[in-house]
Amino acid sequence: MTTKFSGILTLLLAFIVQISFAQEKTISGTVTDDIDLPLPGVNIIVKGTNSGTQSDFDGNYSISAEVGQTLVFSYLGFTTQEVAITPSTNTVNLQLQPDAAELDAVVVTGYTRRNQTVQTSAVVAISAEEINQLTPTTSIDNLLQGKAAGVQVTAANGKPGQGAFVRIRGMGSLVAGASSPLYIVDGAPIREQDLASIANEDIENITILKDAAVTAQYGSRGANGVVVITTKSGNRNTEAKVRFSSRYGVISKTKDNFSMMDAEQKMQYEAELFALGVVAAGSRPGVTTAPGSPERQFLLDNANDWQDVLLKDGIVQSNNVSFSGGAEKVDYFFSVGHDRNTGIIDNINGFERLNTRLNLNFDAKEWLSVSANVGYSRSLSDEPRDRNNVQNPFRAMYIYNAYEPEFQLDENGNPELDANGDPIYNPTHQGFSIRGALLSEPENTITNVTLASVNTTVKFTDNFTYTFGTAINHVNYRRESYSKPGGILQNLIGDPDFPGLKTDNGAQRLDMTLSNRLNYSLNSESGHNLNVLGLFEYNFNENNFYRVTSRGFPSALLTTQINAAEVTIGSTNRNRLTLLSYGLFADYNFREKYLASASIRTDGSSNFGKGKEFGTFYSASVGWNIAKEDFFAVDAVNDFKIRASYGTVGNRNGIGRYAPQDLVAFGAYPGGSATIPANVGNPELQWETTETSNIGVELNMFNNRLRTVVDYFKRNTTDLLFTIPTADESGVGGIGGNLGEIENTGFEVSLQGDIIRKPSFTWTMGGNAGFMDNKIIELPDGEDIIPNAFNILYREGEALNQHYLLQYAGVDPNTGAPLYFGEDGGTYRFDDLPESESDNRVLTGKSSIPEVEGGFFTNFSYKGIGLRADFIFKAGNYINNFNRAAIETDGVSPNGNHHVGAFNYWQQPGDTNVLPSPIYRTEVQASDRFLEKGDFIRMRNIVLSYNFPSALLERSPLNSLRVYVQGQNLLTFTEFFGDPEVGISSGETIDFVNTVAPGEATLFSYPQTKSFQVGIDVSF
Amino acid sequence: MKKIVYKILFTVLIIGGFTSCDKELEQIPYDQFASENAFVTASDFENGIRGAYSALTRAGYYGSSDAGSMLSLPDVISDNVTLAQRGRRTKRYLHEFEYFPTATVRGFYGDAYTVIYRANNLLFYIEDFEGENRANIEAEARALRAMAHFDLVSVYGKIPTQSGDANGSLGVAYVTEPDPLVEPARVSVGEVYENIINDLTFAAANINANNDPGRLNKDAVNTLLSRAYLYMGQWQNAINAANNVSTAIAPRESVVGIWDDTNQDGLLFYIPNEATVLNLNIGVTWSQGNVTTLIPEYVASYELFQLYNDEDIRKEGYILPAANNASNMEFNAIRKLFGRPGQFNGQVDIKILRAEEAILNKAEAQYELGQTGQALTTLNQLRDNRYTSYTGGETGTALRDAIRLERRLEFAFEYKRFFDLKRWGLPIQRENFGDLADGTGTPSENLNLPASSFRFQLPFANGSLDLNPNLVQNPGY
Repeated sequence: MTTKFSGILTLLLAFIVQISFAQEKTISGTVTDDIDLPLPGVNIIVKGTNSGTQSDFDGNYSISAEVGQTLVFSYLGFTTQEVAITPSTNTVNLQLQPDAAELDAVVVTGYTRRNQTVQTSAVVAISAEEINQLTPTTSIDNLLQGKAAGVQVTAANGKPGQGAFVRIRGMGSLVAGASSPLYIVDGAPIREQDLASIANEDIENITILKDAAVTAQYGSRGANGVVVITTKSGNRNTEAKVRFSSRYGVISKTKDNFSMMDAEQKMQYEAELFALGVVAAGSRPGVTTAPGSPERQFLLDNANDWQDVLLKDGIVQSNNVSFSGGAEKVDYFFSVGHDRNTGIIDNINGFERLNTRLNLNFDAKEWLSVSANVGYSRSLSDEPRDRNNVQNPFRAMYIYNAYEPEFQLDENGNPELDANGDPIYNPTHQGFSIRGALLSEPENTITNVTLASVNTTVKFTDNFTYTFGTAINHVNYRRESYSKPGGILQNLIGDPDFPGLKTDNGAQRLDMTLSNRLNYSLNSESGHNLNVLGLFEYNFNENNFYRVTSRGFPSALLTTQINAAEVTIGSTNRNRLTLLSYGLFADYNFREKYLASASIRTDGSSNFGKGKEFGTFYSASVGWNIAKEDFFAVDAVNDFKIRASYGTVGNRNGIGRYAPQDLVAFGAYPGGSATIPANVGNPELQWETTETSNIGVELNMFNNRLRTVVDYFKRNTTDLLFTIPTADESGVGGIGGNLGEIENTGFEVSLQGDIIRKPSFTWTMGGNAGFMDNKIIELPDGEDIIPNAFNILYREGEALNQHYLLQYAGVDPNTGAPLYFGEDGGTYRFDDLPESESDNRVLTGKSSIPEVEGGFFTNFSYKGIGLRADFIFKAGNYINNFNRAAIETDGVSPNGNHHVGAFNYWQQPGDTNVLPSPIYRTEVQASDRFLEKGDFIRMRNIVLSYNFPSALLERSPLNSLRVYVQGQNLLTFTEFFGDPEVGISSGETIDFVNTVAPGEATLFSYPQTKSFQVGIDVSF
Repeated sequence: MKKIVYKILFTVLIIGGFTSCDKELEQIPYDQFASENAFVTASDFENGIRGAYSALTRAGYYGSSDAGSMLSLPDVISDNVTLAQRGRRTKRYLHEFEYFPTATVRGFYGDAYTVIYRANNLLFYIEDFEGENRANIEAEARALRAMAHFDLVSVYGKIPTQSGDANGSLGVAYVTEPDPLVEPARVSVGEVYENIINDLTFAAANINANNDPGRLNKDAVNTLLSRAYLYMGQWQNAINAANNVSTAIAPRESVVGIWDDTNQDGLLFYIPNEATVLNLNIGVTWSQGNVTTLIPEYVASYELFQLYNDEDIRKEGYILPAANNASNMEFNAIRKLFGRPGQFNGQVDIKILRAEEAILNKAEAQYELGQTGQALTTLNQLRDNRYTSYTGGETGTALRDAIRLERRLEFAFEYKRFFDLKRWGLPIQRENFGDLADGTGTPSENLNLPASSFRFQLPFANGSLDLNPNLVQNPGY
């Protein structure tokens, strides 16, 4: 009470003083950081008023104030300073001092916002500034790659708008979707595959929570780490700042590091195959036309490069405008943006997104504040077929022969025309023209995402606050797939009485979180800082799906279902999942020297068996910043923090929403309904639990010029949730269960250093690496598990995601036959392999999971000129290269094109380092022959930029102006055959959500792309 | 003080207004139904038996799986078809006898056991049901279970008459309980057949003489029974069962129309295939496209084509002259699944059992019993309805060959040829004809499979072996 009184008294006095001596003057100056670099964007406000400004790019500012008032200089990551205005004050040049170890060290752990200095667990924060440098990806998850040690990111594929598989500290689960981290955007959970709906430009901060001490706050869903995304907000007491950024560029497929056969080569290859007894080659032009004949010449004259025909150089484009600012009791951020990436397939469009956002915080009453963050985005995407068949353009570009023309040709080599005068597409040896089908079989999706989070905070006392929050994520998804009347597919399998077939399907996904938070915080003058948070939260998730298919369209131009003659399928579905949580979290530090935190959380989820719904998760962590001790007097060391944490976290993904219940579904069969057993219930289903221990050291030295973080962790996941496949003879497929245990251990290092740090010249380099190891400790009854993957097997005591294959032993130099290893270690022809229970397959010790993964960067900046390059790398993973197998068939598939290396087959005794002779094509069997090392280093991003100095901008209305050129994926170092960045093998065989082993195999999914872009960022 | 009241009031209001309770954790599915509620009333069991039948339409069973299904396998592994180079080369590994544990018809294996599980599940619940039509549904379920096991053992096991050791060799697991955790061992071929006969005998005695289309009936079950006895070499039983089939065979003038669904003469068990119900383009297993743009996967082998003489209505009924004009190719396309009149979408009813089989089973059994006169009479019953004129009058092995020939001609592309060659102990011998209409073009790659080859018994998939430690692979693989 006394303090309050004295406060009021001070204000009163100040008021009196003001009246007496009111005298307005203009103050100007420069704000710099601790090493004399100008600090742009520093908030400068006149204390107790609405007026304020920001420093410009060169750190300069100018503000009007009255003598006796106080200027407050604040900047994120620096200690706020106040300067009182005296009659003699005209210039205030100020050097701000960093108040935390790192400049961008604000970490957002979801329910709280804290400084890195007092953090006791492994977290990594990525700031807006850094995101800005990497923007040209349309999805945030791709952007995380190489940014944080221990975060494994595998790009799903190169499809515009497609995300990535993110695994924080290894695979915590045996089911695909269940190994993904939890993504939280302003408090609302969002699915990994919906991340593309968030504009990079709107993001203020991405914080990756790695260990249990923080993920335990998300108890139920934090087992695989949490990625907390916070969107921007305005600065109070500042005038509106307008920011405009735009970029434009071209993208194309990354170039193959191998060559396909041209028309002449392929025909020669066919003739060679036929001569070796490959009967099927007999119908190929390499056999049916004689070299030098007019027929042969005709084919050569009309030869194609199918990559040129099917692909294009696409366009990427992005435009964003934002306004932000604030008054004393309110701040706002508004943005609108448009992004486009046409992709590289000719004849269809790629991805396009429109997004807008308004974030508003205001103090409604002295004791009541409200914040509302609302974002909307609409994404459109054209969908090519992603499967291993004739409808996939990325398969066709390799399999179509160069001598096959795009159109059916008459004898003069001119395209034949159909009744409408349009050229007739050549079905090729595949019987299907993908060129034509891209036009006649369009498929596209439209995704509308609304993210709204509203928080109301009641301040009871300075120490006690209560917050009620609602966070809503609503996805409205629609997919349309049309097989046009008269199109390629309709002419193959259509019904002439009902021409054309159209499917509309879609989903409404609602995720709603209601949370009640009671917060107590204490910052005593004696140095005790305590924060306690009580939580009660309810999460409701509902999906609604619909699907309508009908046939019989009078015109290809009509696409809505109302035009159809007959509906063949009409259905809706709905499912729900709910979660109820109670939690108590506490953080404590004493003078930022001794740190501790603890949490406990109980979650109940509706997808577990009766009586098994609730799981309790807890964590504890401690830290000690030795550098803050008086006895520690090493000047070179700014921070030396040792921290340790332990905790448990749950997971409920990986099983059906109603997995504990015995269920039937209903289908149709002539005569009426058909009851179809749909789920064998397991009432014992319960939470999967992950236990994580973490030890870390943070060391900042030489005035924070060298920053090091090292962590060691051990994660044990028990009661893994999994659909356990049952014997084929059971006829049920699988049953949801809790099975076994896996362990991930890892060592993470990140290192960053300012090699040069001068006012006009800085050079920073940094990098991180995560070294991971994993092991399956236990499986039920010790039996092997075959997941939904190509050749992956889970076995007790073995590493995860190992390829389980027959081992190829090369070619017998005497006969040219392929040889394989028998179980006994000997080498055999395929038909002579010894009888073996495993069919001589072995766990190869080669896994789809890299042993080490990370990234590094270099960043120069000289007087506004910047050059930054970011690299990513992976090593130790193995990819089953089915793409190569499809174009190196040893005579098994003579019809399709092959790569030039296919000529290198065994010809005579003594030939080594060759492919098997096509004579033995029946002995070419699935083996590890195409299993290749996936190691690579890729220059993900390189940017050359120029920031115009404010001297130049002074006479313009602009505050800042930056122009840049940027390249993505321009350089790759690998020995892999093809592009080593592999995620999804074949999207319609195993889709994103169902991928257990990202990067296990190549199978003609959308290839990776490279791009060149130019951009501009302006603010005023 | 007033402020504190506001604050508390405000807080209480929102907490009270939005907080939910534990009841929210009890969620019941919207799209599915608790099993215990699904098998109670008479109509539940009608729905249930239809559910069991519906598994027959899965891709690996009577669907058109590119990896091969019951719809295609017995002709693809035989001399009835030739691989068309123009096509997508599906099922080639079967046609060329290159099936291995890594590449085999696992889809069929799983789908057949799905039929069995659904039948067993229904049989489990029917024990507590005493309502209308119980006996008929129980009979249908047991007949389905028998049929699926019969198909399985024919593909993976030996056929009793195939060789002397057949009965004692391993067949397949005969599963009679709906146990999701079952990991059954294979039992002997003899034991499998014993179970099949057991189930079919029960079914024949209890099933309705007539059931709706898409469901088995007395004649259908008796035909299956006669086939089972025929495969076992129990000739008299085969004749007796065939004699219980009363449905007339299709007359000559109906033969063409059966395959485009304009009549159902002689059909004992078929599954109607309408766009709004099943909507299965099963014909893609043989070809896509129309008669001028045909992309065939397989065509009638030129050898088979020549066996149909011009007097034989089946030449028109089973084989379709078609072309791919763009490639200047003409084919003897397979007409049986091509489409309804005016259609080429491969959407036709799935025909599974026909009265003609009872006749041919009977003729063959009569011959084996030495009743050659009766056998000839029985055979002529069919020939009279197929040819405008024929020589006939065969005796001795000529009669046997005539019966076998007629079986091949009648049931070409109808899931029998591989099993017939197998049980007769005959090799697969393909003539060296190409894939085009006049026998030119490219022949299939591997032409022959010796009668003694282990490849007459298909391998179990590695995946199946991995999941069931009690499953033993067939010899040779």
